[in-house]
Amino acid sequence: MEKITPNIIFNISNDISDEIIKDEALRIMKACFQCGTCTGSCPSGRRTAIRTRQIMRKAVLSLDEVLSDEDIWLCSTCYTCYERCPRNIPVTDVIIKLRNLATQRGFIKPAHQKVTQVLADTGHGVPLGITKNSEENQWSKARESYGLSKIPPTTHSHPEAVLEIQKLMQLTNFDKLVKLEFKSINEGKK
Amino acid sequence: MTESNPKTISKSKSPKEEDVRIGLYICNCGINIGGVLEMDDMIEFGKTLPNVTLCKKYKFYCSDNGQAEIAKDIKDGLINRVVVAACSPRMHEPTFRRVLKSNGLNPFYFAQANIREHATWVNMYDHEGAQRIAKDHIRMQVAKVRKLKALETIKVKVKPSTLIIGAGIAGMNSALDLADQGFKVYLIEREPTIGGHMAQLDKTFPTMDCSSCILTPKMVDVSRNPNIHIMAYSEVEKVDGYIGNFEVKIKHKAHYIDQLKCTACGACVDSCPVICANDFDLNMGPRKAIYIPFPQAVPGQYTIDIDHCIKCGNCASPSICEPGAIIYDEEDHYSTLKVGTIIVSTGFDQIDPTNLKNYGYGKYENVINGLEMERNLSSTGPNLGKPVCPSNGKPPHSVAWLQCVGSRDNREGYHPYCSRVCCMYAIKQARQYKEKHPEAECYIFYMDIRAFGKGYEEFYESSSHDFGIKYMRGRLAEIYENPDKTLLLRGEDTFLSQPIAINVDLVVLSTGVEARTDATNVATMLGIQQTSDGFFMEAHPKLRPLDSLTAGIFMAGVAQGPKDIPDTVSQAKGAASGAAILMAKGEVEVDPYYAVVYPNLCSGCRSCINLCPYSAITFDESHKVAYINPIMCHGCGTCVASCPSNAIEQNHFSGDQLMTIITDVLGGLY
Ligand SMILES: Cc1cc2nc3c(=O)[nH]c(=O)nc-3n(C[C@H](O)[C@H](O)[C@H](O)COP(=O)(O)OP(=O)(O)OC[C@H]3O[C@@H](n4cnc5c(N)ncnc54)[C@H](O)[C@@H]3O)c2cc1C
Ligand code: SF4
Ligand code: SF4
Ligand code: SF4
Ligand code: SF4
Repeated sequence: MEKITPNIIFNISNDISDEIIKDEALRIMKACFQCGTCTGSCPSGRRTAIRTRQIMRKAVLSLDEVLSDEDIWLCSTCYTCYERCPRNIPVTDVIIKLRNLATQRGFIKPAHQKVTQVLADTGHGVPLGITKNSEENQWSKARESYGLSKIPPTTHSHPEAVLEIQKLMQLTNFDKLVKLEFKSINEGKK
Repeated sequence: MTESNPKTISKSKSPKEEDVRIGLYICNCGINIGGVLEMDDMIEFGKTLPNVTLCKKYKFYCSDNGQAEIAKDIKDGLINRVVVAACSPRMHEPTFRRVLKSNGLNPFYFAQANIREHATWVNMYDHEGAQRIAKDHIRMQVAKVRKLKALETIKVKVKPSTLIIGAGIAGMNSALDLADQGFKVYLIEREPTIGGHMAQLDKTFPTMDCSSCILTPKMVDVSRNPNIHIMAYSEVEKVDGYIGNFEVKIKHKAHYIDQLKCTACGACVDSCPVICANDFDLNMGPRKAIYIPFPQAVPGQYTIDIDHCIKCGNCASPSICEPGAIIYDEEDHYSTLKVGTIIVSTGFDQIDPTNLKNYGYGKYENVINGLEMERNLSSTGPNLGKPVCPSNGKPPHSVAWLQCVGSRDNREGYHPYCSRVCCMYAIKQARQYKEKHPEAECYIFYMDIRAFGKGYEEFYESSSHDFGIKYMRGRLAEIYENPDKTLLLRGEDTFLSQPIAINVDLVVLSTGVEARTDATNVATMLGIQQTSDGFFMEAHPKLRPLDSLTAGIFMAGVAQGPKDIPDTVSQAKGAASGAAILMAKGEVEVDPYYAVVYPNLCSGCRSCINLCPYSAITFDESHKVAYINPIMCHGCGTCVASCPSNAIEQNHFSGDQLMTIITDVLGGLY
């Protein structure tokens, strides 16, 4: 006789929810009554697969898939659900916490990994695309048109500060978490 | 009663301590206490306390066997004071005092240490901590009982009359029950008519009887009952006194029409040129400035809405008002009443959904609230029972009800509780609409349908299968108005896990109920409490659900918490019975915790007299000392603390008793 898979039995633990509620402000997430206001309010969910309410459900039940599925990365952190949740749950903050957990457990999308690498290299998640010595581009022109300096007073004007950022990343073990490779800033200049 | 000549009292000395023999009884309360505390250690500790002659434990001291054990020790002459370490004295202090009294001891030689609520319940997981705290509580009560004095309870007469504040279905039912037992009832209602919210409803779930058809005969019964004095358009201004003898000041608002002369002919209405919004119809329809709220109003006399009246004089002309009842310059007047008991039945306000911006109430024409729909469905309402879209006056083809609007919402300004009527009224209204328009689409957006009462689940079931109402599980996220004033609803169908968008013609927000905006004023005036949700607080949520914590004052209806009409009527009958018991007995005993002036110490400075919030202190001119009326004193202690000569002592809470407690408990720390 064919074996019947007991697919209705799943593992419910407190593994993930316990991690989340270490942050006292997120403890209330256990009170989610699955009303659906968050999903219904979610502008991202109208175009993508994110179902905020289901993320909350899976988080409360500590189902691993909440970390491995890509849904948590589809949130645009617009905070609409956060504002409307009738149980006063900081929904968006729970999602951000879930992303941290996912990353800690090795679930990170290549595109996001690349962003962290750009951050490590330039000090910006979205760099201007030019340095002190290079040509100007549309962004620097736009800045000038608003009466701002061509190059912002960030690592773009102070390339040496990128080293400090990299140091911070090392001290917090962020580099290991997202597997960064540090090109030193001087190398970049060569 | 211990009303005595002030000359004869002197500050009595505490009894000789060597004569005090305390029995200390530590109760397990099943496992509530016994499961947390190390009971043998507690007994050993108890035995070391001063004047404790015997110390015992038992599983339930409140049981007959438990009481019998204490009784036997008293009868055997082993002890002359009792401390029970158990639950809160709120419940069982009277039980144990009776044991003392019926065995020949003064009942005030008793103290109860609350080691359940104050020690084992709050420290359920910290047994050692609970043990320490329980010991301190016991140490304090043993200290107190060593110093207690014998006291006599005061007996007060209860006047056989009741003041009922609020004449909705709750107040009316209490009034009828009391009046039929022969008690005099003063029924105060701030609107020009009695009836409350029920008068605004069309039909009532789950039986669909017409609300007016069952309400108006009651209103007539109330008005015809010779023992009920209706005071409509009136409010309570001030309440003084105490159980059995409340003194109440009533404000009678001016009707601008002599209520005794008005024959309710209604000729004046046609003559009035002013058309203003009808508040009984939630401002959806018109009325004249001279009006009765609705045709069956009781009392039936007319009132002038003076804010809208232009004093044109039409109605006052003798050809219109033949009896000459119109008085444009009438003023509010006041009266006072003396009553034995009070029932508060002030009902509720509807939650205002205006600030829930995502639903657009107040902004989108076709978003209305539950009570507005109720008036729309009513044949006496602004659309004569044919609900229409406010935007175009046409009956909607599709209607959506949104549940839990303002209820079950922990956000600032809304309420965590369930309002308990909105699920059922939404089903009722949807069904009523389907009866009128079988082709219409009716949706109910809900989280849970709470159909808890008798016949309610059946009503809910029939609404989907017999009437085709569509239940959509999910709390709606937002509403947008389309250019044609129809509405786009967005939310999630949580069963499909699918965001959805639906267009409908009309939205009804199933707004819940909340405490009246002036509930705090009423509570302060009466000296009763409110729970955190704003409704009036009962003395015990299970065992004394209709008594307030102030003796002689009861509550009924939604004023106490959200409920439907069947529950409101049951409470009304219960509150009437509570008041009737006191009045039938004719007198009650009150705890003698009043303050006493020791005339030999009083310097006659009079500083206490104006401080007393209950006007209980007078000046005895012949002896030149202050005198406190024991019945009027509430035992607040203000005068005790204020007296520069230390001449006032409060029974059962004397300085000596309190200091002993403090000294002993602090000593215990070292
Ligand atoms: C839209 C809607 C539909 C409903 N439909 C149903 C239904 O179909 N079936 C059902 O069982 N229940 C229904 N209910 C619930 C029902 O209305 C209540 O259970 C009932 O009206 C409660 O009666 P009450 O006497 O406690 O309060 P109220 O009806 O509010 O009466 C209180 C009275 O006290 C007066 N008052 C208030 N404050 C003062 C004051 N300070 N001094 C003097 N007088 C004062 C008020 O003017 C009022 O007349 C519905 C409720 C709503 C909102
Ligand atoms: S809005 Fe809040 S309570 Fe409702 S499903 Fe989302 S997280 Fe849960
Ligand atoms: S914060 Fe994220 S999950 Fe919440 S509504 Fe916005 S996009 Fe959706
Ligand atoms: S009765 Fe129904 S609609 Fe009203 S608050 Fe309770 S669950 Fe919500
Ligand atoms: S104890 Fe309070 S109520 Fe009593 S006489 Fe003193 S001030 Fe008045």
